[in-house]
Amino acid sequence: MDNRKLEQLKQEYIDIQIPEELEFVVRRSIIQGRKNMKKKNNIKKIKIVSGSIAASVALLIAGVNTSPVMAQNLSNLPVVGGIIKVLTFREYKVDENNYNADIKVPEIQGLENEELQNSLNEKYLNEGKELYDQFMEDIEDLEKDGEGGHLGIDNGYIVKTDTDKILSIGRYVVNTVGSSSTTFKYDTIDKEKQILITLPSLFKDGTYVDIISDNIKSQMKEQMKSDESILYWIEGDEEAIDPFEKISSEQSFYINDEGKLVISFDKYEVAPGSTGTPEFVIPTETISELLVGNEYIK
Amino acid sequence: MVNNLENQLEDFIIKNREPFYRLAYSYVKNVDDSLDVVQESIYKAFSSIDSLKDFGYIKIWFYRIVVNVSLDLLRKKKREIITDEDFLLANDTGTIDNYADIDLENALESLPEDYRSIIVLRFFEDLKLEEIAVILEKNISTVKTRLYKGLEMLRISMDD
Repeated sequence: MDNRKLEQLKQEYIDIQIPEELEFVVRRSIIQGRKNMKKKNNIKKIKIVSGSIAASVALLIAGVNTSPVMAQNLSNLPVVGGIIKVLTFREYKVDENNYNADIKVPEIQGLENEELQNSLNEKYLNEGKELYDQFMEDIEDLEKDGEGGHLGIDNGYIVKTDTDKILSIGRYVVNTVGSSSTTFKYDTIDKEKQILITLPSLFKDGTYVDIISDNIKSQMKEQMKSDESILYWIEGDEEAIDPFEKISSEQSFYINDEGKLVISFDKYEVAPGSTGTPEFVIPTETISELLVGNEYIK
Repeated sequence: MVNNLENQLEDFIIKNREPFYRLAYSYVKNVDDSLDVVQESIYKAFSSIDSLKDFGYIKIWFYRIVVNVSLDLLRKKKREIITDEDFLLANDTGTIDNYADIDLENALESLPEDYRSIIVLRFFEDLKLEEIAVILEKNISTVKTRLYKGLEMLRISMDD
């Protein structure tokens, strides 16, 4: 979309005519609004709950996999020598006409640190539940508008890294409305110490944000130089509306099985959709000075 | 103190009534409904003034009310609008009207609500992505994604 078209749309927006009675309506409404305030305690809000949509959609909950056999069937993803495992805890499925959802909630088993295990599992469950609720709400909105249309969501998880030391679980959400968007979130666990590794916890101080960002920017530039079909939105690109400046201090990351730090971005976060979900392996020598130790990153 | 906030809200609304009206109009597309949205939003603003913790957020807070009221009204009116369109079609004389760039405007209209809102708020109201995220109650990466998707969709439908 070139800027001229955007300017034209903006002009049309600015040209929306303001009716003369606007000021009158505004002033009258303010007086009424202030009056209503005084008696608002007497007004009870009534919420109308519509259940028709929920009833018409087939919902399958696979249930809690208390039996190990069933768990194996659902997801054949035993992870660590039978001790620490990632399983599908629950699956939400909607498959009706134009609405398809497949939401898999992972569960970590076998961590001795139960507090960590419970908090992660609870988080995954909430994420899944939230996605499911949001999806049902979206369907309801579409039905209400009578427009129809296709809605799809695919949510699942992959084990990115599983070494003696490290377990990195990535959860992805693919949202389909016309085209699709994908987001990735990771958790990385130190299996020996049984702790969750956060990005800031790897570094001595906050300077890693700038150093890593600079490295990613130069990687982006290099990639664009060597391959014309690759595009990232970075500073200096006139077309970019919100160019990439720096990573967030809590940017998505994982540690790969070679012990390298990998920074991940969502689809559309730093590049057009065609680039997918970019990942950048940060060379360890760039950050070695900043690391707390070389226990995880090598 | 509270009274003071009410007065500030009143001043703010009077001062910014035109942007609010435009925003409402960008959703509901006619004068009467836009005025209704403005009126309803003002009622809502005063009755929920407790939820405005800090006057610094008043702009985002009020925009959010306007967007929600507009969407509510659109939903309520949906059936009637369809009837109106049928009526218009049935009575169409077939004369071709001349509108400049109706395609461009249509392209924007054809985007899903959220996508259109984000483009309107970002480019026409010059709001920051963070602010839009709060107004639309979405997280920032969703807003960003939808902004780019919206732009992509616009380009696709205009190039066709």
